Amino acid sequence: MRYVKGTKEGLYILIKEDMDLDKIKDNLKDKIKPSKRFFEGAKIVNFKGKKLTREEFDELKDLVENDYGMSVLGDYTQDTDLLSDKEEAKENTAYEKLPYDNVIQDKVLMVRATVRSGQLIEYNGNIVIIGDVNPGAQIKATGSIVVMGTMRGVAHAGSNGDYGAFVSALNLLPAQIRIGDIITRSPDGLGIRTSVPEMAVVKRGLILVEPYLPNR
Amino acid sequence: MGEVIVITSGKGGVGKTTTTANIGTGFSLEGKSTVLVDADIGLRNLDVVMGLENRIVYDLVDVVDGVCRLRQALIKDKRYSNLYLLPAAQTKDKNAVTPQQMQELTSELAKEFDYVIVDCPAGIEQGFKNAIAGANKAIVVTTPEVSAVRDADRIIGLLEANGLRNPQLVINRLRVDMVKRGDMMNIDDMIDILAIELLGVVPDDEHIIVSTNRGEPAVTNNDSIAGQAYRNIVKRILGEDVPFMNLESDQGFMSKLAKMFGFGKKK
Ligand SMILES: Nc1ncnc2c1ncn2[C@@H]1O[C@H](COP(=O)(O)OP(=O)(O)OP(=O)(O)O)[C@@H](O)[C@H]1O
Ligand SMILES: [Mg+2]
Repeated sequence: MRYVKGTKEGLYILIKEDMDLDKIKDNLKDKIKPSKRFFEGAKIVNFKGKKLTREEFDELKDLVENDYGMSVLGDYTQDTDLLSDKEEAKENTAYEKLPYDNVIQDKVLMVRATVRSGQLIEYNGNIVIIGDVNPGAQIKATGSIVVMGTMRGVAHAGSNGDYGAFVSALNLLPAQIRIGDIITRSPDGLGIRTSVPEMAVVKRGLILVEPYLPNR
Repeated sequence: MGEVIVITSGKGGVGKTTTTANIGTGFSLEGKSTVLVDADIGLRNLDVVMGLENRIVYDLVDVVDGVCRLRQALIKDKRYSNLYLLPAAQTKDKNAVTPQQMQELTSELAKEFDYVIVDCPAGIEQGFKNAIAGANKAIVVTTPEVSAVRDADRIIGLLEANGLRNPQLVINRLRVDMVKRGDMMNIDDMIDILAIELLGVVPDDEHIIVSTNRGEPAVTNNDSIAGQAYRNIVKRILGEDVPFMNLESDQGFMSKLAKMFGFGKKK
């Protein structure tokens, strides 16, 4: 169950039909407080899902604005419909309609950090590192690995044996890449430094590294 | 409440003890009351570098074991009245104290001194854990070598995992002639990999060896270029905006330093 929902119009706070005011407040405390920093300053379009009385609306608005630092833009309204089921379903299947071959819809772990020597990041799914991966660090994913920075460590994609997994980086200078059980290491000596983003994939049983932006 | 700064590196022999002695003495020259803590139990050096070896009666382990009071173990520097040393034990090993005890000890010292500087042993084991236990700031020392930079990176990761965020970097033993020839690891590359703020670059300088043997830190010697680098580092820690020094008149290097300086500023 989501408690805050982003739509085209903006953020809504979702309230279940069967909740009374105290329950709603408790729920807000549980769900919003831990991520207060995230929600602070957020502009909420309105509440949705339960018909509120004017008093309830005023009390909730006051709480959300004063305790959690958000602002409620909308006024009191009787129209509190959730997105229709159809609309919800449409959102979830949108990716299927994309006219592309390579669409991955799987769990992703995103890490905003410099991954340093001696550190291991392991995940059942895909891994995105927003930062550099330094020599001596290791990234291991059952899916693919994307490094939005320089990859100098060891990358192991498709660690459960998925040869379709890939490793890409803005600057791909790894000590070693493994995809499934195939291993390739960087050439000895100072490798050639290209500054174009590259991607390592398995082709004909070998790991190949190539730029993925063809025109650069 | 004073600040507890740990000087660490991972790799041995890159200049932790030299840096501790020089930064510590530099603080006292700036009028800050300072105590140096030698956490390298079993391989103590700081007393020798400070020229205070012959005055040791009690040591850090004696304090922790309750053999003496903290005050009794502190050795006053021969030149500066606001500078003290807490020596390590030489006959014990790193397991003679616990991180908890080190934390209590350094916080006790921070009540009395502006700066508590802890000289960390090489490695990532017990001695390292002890040395960082009470610190609220860390300075990582490296030399311009791939292996030292690798270890520095490992240490930065461990420091961050232990809540010591934003450590600062001292690059030691830079050889200007080798940089000019392009034979030394590029400073930009080091900063690029380690991604932390540069506090200063200390050139390789024979004054360091002479001063170490004499027990007089180079920072007190106005003719020493390494001493100048350490004076600048101290000023930067104190919040002064000191430009990076002109290590010889190599243009390429100077422009690099200028770049590093830009990097060093908080974004
Ligand atoms: N800038 C410098 N120029 C010349 N020699 C230096 C410089 N810095 C350090 N040295 C020399 O390098 C050696 C090692 O320095 P130091 O003892 O400070 O390293 P350390 O990191 O404390 O070593 P350990 O890991 O063994 O504790 C010493 O002999 C010292 O004199
Ligand atoms: Mg030492």
